[in-house]
Amino acid sequence: MPRPIILAVAAALAAQVRADDAAFFTATVEPILKQRCYKCHSHEAGKMKGGLTLDSRSGWQQGGNSGVAIVPGKLQESLLITAIRHTDRELKMPEEKLPPAEIAAIEEWVKRGAPDPRAPAKESTRQGVDEWWAVRNLAKPPVPQKFGAHPVDAFVRAKLAEHGLDLSPEADRRTLIRRLTFDLHGLPPTPAEVGAFIADHDPRAYENLVDRLLASPRYGEQWARHWLDVAHYGESNGFGMDRPRLNAWPYRDYVIRAFNDDKPYARFVQEQLAADALFPGEPALTPALGFVAAGPFNQSALAEQVDDTDCKRIALNLDRDDMVSSVAATFLSVTLHCARCHEHKFDPISQRDYYRMQAAFAGVVRGEREFDPNVARQRERERWTKIKQQLDAGEPLEKLDAPDRDHLAQATEPLRKTLLAQESAWHILDANFTSENPKTVVKRLPDGSSLFSGECGETDVYSITANVKTPNITALRLEVLADDSLPHRGPGRNPENGNLHLSEIKVSAASEDAPEKISAVKIKTAIADFSQAGWEIAKAIDGKAETAWGIHPQESRSHQAVFTFDKPLNHAAGTLLTVRLEQSHGRQHVIGRLRISTTTAADSATQKLVSPDVLVRLKSSQENSAAVQHALAPLLAEEILSAFPPAQRVWAVGGSLPPFRRYKPPKEPYPIRILARGDINRPGTEVTCGALDAVRSLTPEFALPNPKDEAARRAALAVWITDPANPLTWRSIVNRAWLWHFGRGLVETPNDFGKMGGAPTHPDLLDWLACEFRDNGGSFKKLHRLIVTSATYRQSVTADGSWRTDLSESPKTESARLLPSAATIDGDNRLLWRGTRRRLDAEQIRDALLAVSGKIDLTEGGPSAMQFGFSDPNKEVSPRIDYEGFDPDEPASNRRSVYRFIFRNVNDPLLDAFDAADPSLSVARRTSTTTALQALSLFNNRFVLRQCEHLAARLGRETEGIEKQIALAYRLLFSRVPDDDELRAVSAHAHKHGLANACRVLVNSNEFLFIP
Amino acid sequence: MSDTLCHRRTPAPLSRREFLTRTGGGFGAMALSAMLGEQSAHATAPHHAPRARAVIQLFMLGGASQCDTFDYKPALQKRSGEKVKFPVSGGTVASPGPVLGSPWEWRQHGQCGRWVSSAMPHIAHCVDDMAFLMAMHAPTSEHSAGQTMQVSGFVTPGFPTVGGWVSHAMGSASRDLPAYVALPDPVGLPWTGKAAWTNGFLPALHQGTMLNPSAENPVPDLFAPKSAQFVTPESARDGLSLLDHINRRHLASAPYDSRLEARIASYELAARMQLAVPGVLDLKGETDATRRLYGMDDKLTEPIGRNCIIARRLIERGVRFVQLWVGSGLNGGAGNWDNHNDIMPGSDFQKMCVRSDRPVAGLLHDLKSRGLLEDTVVLWTTEFGRTPYSQGSKGRDHNGNTFVSWMAGGGIKGGTTFGESDEFSYAAAVDKTMCYDQHATLLHLLGYDHTRLTFRHNGAERRLTDVHGRVISEIVS
Repeated sequence: MPRPIILAVAAALAAQVRADDAAFFTATVEPILKQRCYKCHSHEAGKMKGGLTLDSRSGWQQGGNSGVAIVPGKLQESLLITAIRHTDRELKMPEEKLPPAEIAAIEEWVKRGAPDPRAPAKESTRQGVDEWWAVRNLAKPPVPQKFGAHPVDAFVRAKLAEHGLDLSPEADRRTLIRRLTFDLHGLPPTPAEVGAFIADHDPRAYENLVDRLLASPRYGEQWARHWLDVAHYGESNGFGMDRPRLNAWPYRDYVIRAFNDDKPYARFVQEQLAADALFPGEPALTPALGFVAAGPFNQSALAEQVDDTDCKRIALNLDRDDMVSSVAATFLSVTLHCARCHEHKFDPISQRDYYRMQAAFAGVVRGEREFDPNVARQRERERWTKIKQQLDAGEPLEKLDAPDRDHLAQATEPLRKTLLAQESAWHILDANFTSENPKTVVKRLPDGSSLFSGECGETDVYSITANVKTPNITALRLEVLADDSLPHRGPGRNPENGNLHLSEIKVSAASEDAPEKISAVKIKTAIADFSQAGWEIAKAIDGKAETAWGIHPQESRSHQAVFTFDKPLNHAAGTLLTVRLEQSHGRQHVIGRLRISTTTAADSATQKLVSPDVLVRLKSSQENSAAVQHALAPLLAEEILSAFPPAQRVWAVGGSLPPFRRYKPPKEPYPIRILARGDINRPGTEVTCGALDAVRSLTPEFALPNPKDEAARRAALAVWITDPANPLTWRSIVNRAWLWHFGRGLVETPNDFGKMGGAPTHPDLLDWLACEFRDNGGSFKKLHRLIVTSATYRQSVTADGSWRTDLSESPKTESARLLPSAATIDGDNRLLWRGTRRRLDAEQIRDALLAVSGKIDLTEGGPSAMQFGFSDPNKEVSPRIDYEGFDPDEPASNRRSVYRFIFRNVNDPLLDAFDAADPSLSVARRTSTTTALQALSLFNNRFVLRQCEHLAARLGRETEGIEKQIALAYRLLFSRVPDDDELRAVSAHAHKHGLANACRVLVNSNEFLFIP
Repeated sequence: MSDTLCHRRTPAPLSRREFLTRTGGGFGAMALSAMLGEQSAHATAPHHAPRARAVIQLFMLGGASQCDTFDYKPALQKRSGEKVKFPVSGGTVASPGPVLGSPWEWRQHGQCGRWVSSAMPHIAHCVDDMAFLMAMHAPTSEHSAGQTMQVSGFVTPGFPTVGGWVSHAMGSASRDLPAYVALPDPVGLPWTGKAAWTNGFLPALHQGTMLNPSAENPVPDLFAPKSAQFVTPESARDGLSLLDHINRRHLASAPYDSRLEARIASYELAARMQLAVPGVLDLKGETDATRRLYGMDDKLTEPIGRNCIIARRLIERGVRFVQLWVGSGLNGGAGNWDNHNDIMPGSDFQKMCVRSDRPVAGLLHDLKSRGLLEDTVVLWTTEFGRTPYSQGSKGRDHNGNTFVSWMAGGGIKGGTTFGESDEFSYAAAVDKTMCYDQHATLLHLLGYDHTRLTFRHNGAERRLTDVHGRVISEIVS
C-alpha cells in the first residue's frame, strides 16, 4: 500500500546514523533486543504486545499503546528503560529482569540518542490479515454452469451437488404468497390476494406479485424494522434516567422512506453517518443522523455528574464507544469494541484501529438537532441566529448588512414605546432588605436597590419586607443589577464569574390591619429576560432546592425576572409583603445587588423583558436613536427568529448542539489517545482519525485538511466505508439481506465476520451477491427480486429430501437421483436443500392480529404511538410505563408495531416474550425461543384477547353461520380453507363458547405462528 | 380435569400422566425440556462440587451508606466537621463539604466483634453468619452504571445479569417455576426498570421473571384479565384441548420440527406455573411467629418482609436465583438509599434501614433454622458507597471508591471480614474487591469456575466476569 513518503524519511534518518554508533548497536544492543524482546514485540514473531514492536526504528519511535517507547537521549522519559529497570510496579519487562550489564548497554544506547541503523520495518504485515476471508478483495466469482439460469440457484445447487443433494420442489402458491407477504410486508395476505394469486395464469404471476409487494409502503415498514434492530434504535435513554426521546421518530421514518424509495446503499450509509457534511444542501436528510445517536445514553452520568471526574470521563468514553462499536458492527460486521482494551484477540484489529475510528466521533454529542427541510428558510433562520449572536456579543449594528439594519431600525420605535409603557406600570418598593448571614452588609442605593457586601457566605437567604399601599398587586419583579463593586460586575457574588443561583423565591403577604395573618402567595408563572441553559427561571418556583435560576454566561449585566401571582393581592388596608430569596446552591452563587417592584398590570406574565441596563438607556433622554437601536437590536432579532415556524427536531448527533446541563459538545474534537487496557487514566499515543488497517485495499488513515472539523471526520469514515473497494461493507449488507429473507445468513454471525464468527457457507455466492449489489447501484429492491425469484427461496419446507416421486413435472429432473434422505446428510439445512419454516417475530404477531381483526391502522409515519399508559411525575427519573392497564381499544394500539414507542427499560411484555429486540445492543438476528411465558402471553394477554373479540365481530359482520365464519377465520389466519375435521371441531367450540373463544384457540395455534 | 390458562379460581392442570400420555412419542423428551428450560439436571455440569444450590441477592438501591451501617471509622467520628481535602472522583457536587461523622451509635456485635451501627439493630445479631467485604469498589459513582455493574458486571446495558448466568448454568430445579425470579420493591422498579434482571444476550428463558405479589397478575399475563369477559374457565379448558388437537394435526404435516413440539408442551408448563405462582404467594401456611420474624406485623416492615418470605418460599421450591430489591428508582431521591440530603435519624436513610433491617435479619434466621442457609447464599449489595464528607449539611454524595457488601450461607465463612477502607472510609485501601470477585465467588459456591462458564455472543466467548475476577477464598469456609 502507498506509504512512500514515510518510508523515504525513515530511510534518510537511518542513513544519518554514525558508523561507530551503528557498530555499537549492531554488536551489543540488537542481540539483546533480539534475544529478550522480539519474542513479544516483532513482526517475525507475529506479536506486538501492547501495540509495540522493537524490530525497527519506527517500531519504538511510534511506540505502543502506552506511548513512545524511547526518547533518544532521555532515560527518564523512555518507557523502555523504565520497563527493563523493573522500578515501576505496573510496567516490568521482560518478566525476568535483564542482567545488569544488558540494562547498562541499553541505557548507554538510549543515552547516545538511540542510533538505530536497521532498515525500516517492512510494510506492517500484521499476522492474520492474509488468512482473513472477510477482508480479501472482492472479485465477482463466475456463476457455476449446468445448474440452471438463476445465478443464486446455480451457486446453491452446485454446493448441494457436492453433497449429492439438490433443491426441494417449489412450495404451493398459497404458501408462496404467505411467505412472500410476511417476508416483504410483515403482514398476512388477505383472502382476496391469495385467491387472485392462485388463479393468476400469467407466467409472470410470481414476479408480478413480488413487484406489487415491493411497491407498497408496507415493504419499507417491514424492512426498516430489520435495520432498526441493528441500529439498536430505541426512544428512551436507557440507563437510570430512561427519559423519553420524543423526537427520535424522524430517524425511523427516514429509514422506512429509504427502503421504500430504494435508496442506494452507499448513499444510505453516508447519510446516516454524515448527511450534514456530505450533503449540506439537503437539510431534510438530517434525521439520518439519528443512527449514530440511536443507542442508550447515560444521562445521569453525562449530564448530571461533575465534569473532569473519572466517572464522567469514563462515561464520555463509553458514550463514544457505543457509537463506534455500533458503526463497526452495523456496516462492517466487525467486533471492533474488542479492541478497546487490548489488541483484538482473534482478528487483525489493533487498539490503534479502534481508537482512530473512535476519533471520528470525538467531536459529537447526542441531542435534539433542529432542522428545516426548507433549505431557503433554514438559511434565513441560520443567518438571523448568527446576527443575534453577534448582537448579543455587543457587535455594532454597522457590521450588519444594510437591509438587515434597516429592518431592525424600522422595528425599533414601536418596541421602545411598548417597553416604556410597560416600565411605567412598575412601582419600585421602598423595602427592608436583610440577609441570613450576619456578616453581610446591606447598603441602600438611591435608585431603590440594595447592595450586598461584606464577607460572602457559601449560601444565603435574603428577606425583603415592604408595605404596598396599592391594591390589586398582580406581580412582583426582581431586578438583579450589575455593579462595579461586584466580582466581574456581578450581578451575583460568585468570585469566578459573577453568576448567581436563585434556588427558590417565596412570597407571603398579610393585610396591614392583620399583620399576624400571613399567607403564602402562589406564583403562577415566572419569566426572565435571560436564563442560563438548564437553569431556567421556572426552576426558581419549582419547589426544589437543588434547581435554580442562573444567568451564565450573561454576567456583568443586569437582568430581571417577573413573577405573576396566582391571584392579585387585594388588601384594602395595604399589603405587608415578604419576599424570601433562597440561594442554597453554594459556592457564593448569591445576588450582589437587587431591586424589587410590584405592578397592577394585567399583562405581567407576557411582558417583553429586556435587561434593566437597556431600560436605563431607553429612559435616558441623552441617548440618541442609534444607541437605542443598538440596545434593542438583540431583542428584535429574537423576535424575528421566533416568527419562523418552529424548526423540526430529531434526536441525532452533532458537533454544535446546545449544551444539555453538563453534557456539551467540545469546542473542537477531544484528542483521542490509545488507552492501555481501556483505562482512561492510562493514555498512550494520540491517534488521528482513521479506520481499519486490515482493509488493505484502502488507506487506514484519513487525510483531513482540517482535523478539527468533526463533521469532516464522520464524512471521511462514511466515504471509507462505502468505497467500492471496501470488501467488508458489501459482504456485510448482502449477508444481512440474505438473513432477513431466510432467517439465517450465509455467514451465521451477521455482526461478526471475524474468526470467532462463522465462515460463509457459500463464500462464492456471498461474493457474487456483494459485487452484484454494489455494481447495480446498491439497490435493495433489485437484490430482493434476485433472491426471492430463486428456486432456493421458493422451495417447500415440508420435504425431507426423499421427494423423488413428485419431480415428474418439475424442471429440475436431475435432482431425481437424490436419495437417501437429505435430512440425514444436512439435518440443519445449512446447504439450503429445503425451505425454512420461520416463526413470526414479535411485531409480525402483533401486526397480523391487528390485520385479521380488521383493526389495523395503516397510517404512515409521525410521532410514535404510545401503546401503554404513560405518566411522568418526576422528570429527574424514568417515567412510569403501564402496559397492563392500557386499553387495547385506544387508537394508538392499532398502529403497526414499527410505529410503537420503544421504551428501552420497560419493553412491551407481549413483544418481549416473543423475543423482540432489546435496543441496548445491536441485534443482528432475532432469537426465536419457546417458553411458558409465551404461551401465557398469547393465551391471556389483554391485547390478544381483545383482537380475538374484534376478529369474531368481523366474522359475524362479513358472513353468516358458524361454519362459514370459521372457514373465513381460517382464510384470514392461515390463508386456506379448513378441512372437514377442523371445521367440525372448531365450529363445535364456537357453538359452545362463542366465536371469540374459537378465535382465541386459532391465534394460539402453531399454524398461525409459523410460516412454511 | 383439564388445564386452564385463564382464571385462577379453577386451577386444574393436566396430570403428569395424562400429559405424558397425550404427548408421548414423537419427540425427544430431553431436547424438549432443554428448550423449555425445565430441566431438573444442570444445564451445564458443575465444574466442581457445589456448596450452594440457590442465591438470594438483596439489592439496596441508591448507594447504601457504608459510613452509617457497617464501616466504623473512629477518625470520621473524631474529626467530624473538619475540612479535609478529598479528591472528587464522581458524584454530583464539585466541592466536598466537611467531614461528617456518623450520627449513629456504633457497637461491636457477636463472637466476631463486627462493628455495626445502631441503624441496623437486627442485622447486627447475624454478624457471626456473615462475611463482610469491607473494601468493595466500583469504577463509577453513577446510579444506573453502578447498579448495572453489580447485577451484570458491566457498566453499560445489554449484558446478562448474574441470575441469568445462574439460570444458564444450572437451569431450574423446579418443574413449575422459572430458575430466576425478581422481586422489585413494591414501591416501584429500580433505576433501570426491567433491565435490572435482563437476560442480555442469553436466550429469553434466562430473563428474571418479575413477581409482583400485589398485582392482579403477579406475573404478566399469568391469567386472563377480568376485562376479557368472554373467557370462562370452561372455554379455556375446552380451548386448550382443541388447541392441542389442532396443533397435533399440524405437527403431523411437519414431523421434523422440534419447535412445534416444544410449543405444544409450553402450554402444559404454563398451566403448571399458573398453579405454582399463587401457591408461592399464598402465605396462609406461615405461622404467626414466622410472620413476626420477618416484620409482617408492622406496616413499615411488611412490604419487604413479605418479599423476603416469598424469596424463601421460592428457594424452597427450587428457584435458583431470587433478586430482591429494597428501594425504587421511580421517585428520585426518595424511597431508596440515595441519601444526598440526610442520613440522620428520622431521614429517608433511617426509613430504608427500618424497612429492611428486620425482614433481612428474619430471612437469615429463618433460612438458618430451616437448614436452608447451608446451601443458599444470601448476598447484600448496593451500587456504590457514600462520601465521608457531607453534601448539604446532613447528607452524603455518591462514592464508588469504597462500599460494603456482605454474603452469608452456602459455603461462606461466617463472622469474617475481608478488606479495609482508609481511615475515613473514603476509598478502599486493603484487599480491595469488585463485583467481579463477588460474582466469581458466587459461581464458585454454586460449583462453577467463572472463567469456564461462557456463552458465545457476537464473536466473543462472554463471561459474567469478563476478563476479571478472583474467588475470594478468604471468606469461603
